[in-house]
Amino acid sequence: MTTIDTSRPEQIARDAPEPTSVPAVTLALSVAGISHCYGRRRALSDVSFGVAPASFTALVGLNGAGKSTLIALITRLFGIQAGRISVFGHDISDTPGDALRLLGVVFQPRTLDLDLSVMQNLLYHAALQGIARREARLRGDEVIARIGLADRVNSRVRDLSGGQMRRLEIARALLHRPRLLLLDEATVGLDVQARADILAHVRTLVAERGIGVLWATHLFDEIAESDDLVVLHGGHVLAQGSVTQILGETGAPNFDTAFRSMTEAADRRGRPS
Amino acid sequence: MQAAMMMNRSKMLCRVWLCGAAIWLATAAPASAFLAYVSNEKSNTVSVIDTDSWTVTATIKVGQRPRGIELTRDGKSVLVAVGDDDTIQIIDVASQKVVDSLPSGPDPELFTQDATGKILYVANENDNTVTVIDLEKRVRMGDVQVGVEPEGMAISPDGKILINTSETTNMAHFIDTATREIVANVLVDARPRFAEFKRDGSELWVSSEIGGTVSVIDPAKRVVTDKIEFNIPGLRREAIQPVGIGMTRDAKTAFIALGPANRIAIVDAATHKVIKYLLVGQRVWHMAFTPDEKYLLVTNGVSNDVSVIDVTAQKVIKTIQVGELPWGVAMARP
Amino acid sequence: MSTTFVTHEHRKLGFGNYVTCLNGILWREALRFLHQRERFVSALVRPLVWLFIFAAGFRQVLGISIIPPYETYILYEVYIAPGLIAMIQLFNGMQSSLSMVYDREMGNMRTLLVSPLPRWFLLVCKLLAGTVVSLLQVYAFLLIAWFWDIAPPLIGYLTVLPALVLSGLMLGSLGMLISSRIKQLENFAGVMNFVIFPMFFASSALYPLWRVQEGSPMLYYLCLFNPFTHVVELIRFALYDKVNWVSLAVVAGCTAVFTIGAIIAYDPGRGLARRAPAGGET
Repeated sequence: MTTIDTSRPEQIARDAPEPTSVPAVTLALSVAGISHCYGRRRALSDVSFGVAPASFTALVGLNGAGKSTLIALITRLFGIQAGRISVFGHDISDTPGDALRLLGVVFQPRTLDLDLSVMQNLLYHAALQGIARREARLRGDEVIARIGLADRVNSRVRDLSGGQMRRLEIARALLHRPRLLLLDEATVGLDVQARADILAHVRTLVAERGIGVLWATHLFDEIAESDDLVVLHGGHVLAQGSVTQILGETGAPNFDTAFRSMTEAADRRGRPS
Repeated sequence: MQAAMMMNRSKMLCRVWLCGAAIWLATAAPASAFLAYVSNEKSNTVSVIDTDSWTVTATIKVGQRPRGIELTRDGKSVLVAVGDDDTIQIIDVASQKVVDSLPSGPDPELFTQDATGKILYVANENDNTVTVIDLEKRVRMGDVQVGVEPEGMAISPDGKILINTSETTNMAHFIDTATREIVANVLVDARPRFAEFKRDGSELWVSSEIGGTVSVIDPAKRVVTDKIEFNIPGLRREAIQPVGIGMTRDAKTAFIALGPANRIAIVDAATHKVIKYLLVGQRVWHMAFTPDEKYLLVTNGVSNDVSVIDVTAQKVIKTIQVGELPWGVAMARP
Repeated sequence: MSTTFVTHEHRKLGFGNYVTCLNGILWREALRFLHQRERFVSALVRPLVWLFIFAAGFRQVLGISIIPPYETYILYEVYIAPGLIAMIQLFNGMQSSLSMVYDREMGNMRTLLVSPLPRWFLLVCKLLAGTVVSLLQVYAFLLIAWFWDIAPPLIGYLTVLPALVLSGLMLGSLGMLISSRIKQLENFAGVMNFVIFPMFFASSALYPLWRVQEGSPMLYYLCLFNPFTHVVELIRFALYDKVNWVSLAVVAGCTAVFTIGAIIAYDPGRGLARRAPAGGET
């Protein structure tokens, strides 16, 4: 594998090809030949895909497709049984510290301390990343302002709305300035407006800050034309590429239909082992 | 700001931890250095305890059934009544040996000296008499007839009145030391054991073993003015048997041994109210303060040991094994 | 597309980062502790109930024998105080383990584990944080006990601290080890039945071992080999400015074994990997 010095992001910027094609340089996230079993049950089978820097990749699949297992493997919650995962060339098993530092995560369940204030939550996360308190406070003020919670710095998280909490979690995930952001069903339980806000916010991060995003979802209306897609079903990757590519391959008028035909075909074939 | 505070706190915690670990692993002991002489009624010995190390440093063989024990006023000798030998033996503090004996009546139990230390008054339990002995010449000067089974002995601070309590007659006898005549009798509760004057002579306390009380007597009017009662949760009243009494020189605090209750009662000597009870060994009997009044030693007859009470802290700090059936204790400077 | 990259300082994580992380975890645990007053109150009420009600009924149990580290006769409440301190730490250790399960279900544990710092370090920080919380509870208990005339020498309040840190770590790491085996919150009842109660009752917390030996020699050996007995004795001796070397060795050894066990159990390649994530969704 070609490795480049990740401390010089301008090199990636210069060398990064169009996000729609598979980049030749180091991927923000590289998942290669990942399989995972819970006892006898196979949750993931030979899953491979990549997320380019400064791209928005949607990991699409129904509940039970294996998205959460994949996220757990990328975040090193579980050990990898087969295959490799690396973040900007840092193998998650061999050099977890280096990999995790470049990774920001928003988990599906709420992971904020409800009784602690907005700032306290951010400071705790900063400490976990080894960011000194003074620096953490500066960054905290900055991200809080950006998500429009400047007047709620000392409010208890419990008193925030669902959308505000999500935005805070995203802000928290970005506090240590990662270059890959992982979001697992980040819009679950939010109303339409809040969902749209969160999605727009994350897309801005990709555009303005060059962050690679892996957006796991089962809601197809969150997919945009320009996104890269990874379609996961029954632990298998059924398709990957840009939305246009996938529609072209399946000949379906929209993604909804394309997804249905792909999954039905896969189910008909049965579960290949 | 919170960050700084947190930093300081964790640093402080770390320091306290290290400090605690250091002290925990390196222990020290206090110092005072007196000698306590404990009469062991059954083993016929006197145990000598060093109050510095709180260990028994010598055991002196004495006569049969040693009970009452006291230091002479000059501090050179310890007197111990050996009841079954019908005499009082003199232990030399310097050599820690029995050097002589005094002629008492039969079965001497408790005794007291006058202020000058020249005259000794001895209660002879079997004889219903108090024997008067000249300590310098070591001769018997005479007897005073008192009630049945005389025991407690006390002399008023002005030296004019000698008190003797008789166990069966249940009385405190007031004896004029000049005429050696009983001038008054005050009835107290059953089986009076011990008598103690307040340093200023304003009150006389008499403990009643069976009655379970301490009677406070006005020595001028010669009447009982108050009675101190004891009540320990979880203990039967019969188990509470007051015997020995110790009062601090400032007359503020009194300690009362409660026998089979295994407790010492601490009493406010001014208000006569019990402040607290301290757990000691079994059948706690008599007591003595160290000369600096920092510690009080009490004898536990049945458990064969002596408990040490920190007087200011009002806590039992140690219990030391001695001979069999320790009865009385006297304190001397080495 | 405009690509303004955020510069990323890619130094190795140094000692300062570790200290920052430890402080952060301690600080958060302390904050949570302050917010959970009921937890604090119940942590105090439990031993106080034992002290005020149970011990009052058993006052006559002791006072007939002097056992080290005591130098005189003691009342039963004085005897059980170190056992109750150990009980506070036992419950706290198990409750921390409960909170690990809870955290794992709620996802807080995940935010901890995605820290770039080594996992063993994060778990040790978590253990220390739990221990600090138990220290607050223990000292609050000692303060109340002091008014109840359970007054060890003043120096004992200081010398007991290192013993408490060690015992807190041991019981915390035991809890952590157990928590790695528990899938759900409800299983805490099982922990109560199969860990807390047997450990507490088959120890020297309530009765001195010589008394147990009189009653049942088998139970005596059970108590003797129960590490909780040594936690109690370590605290008992330390509270009176003394060291029980055997207990110190046992507690230190158990702390090492349990901590290493917990680290292995939380290693992503081992313990958790064999199980489906909580909630059943894959």
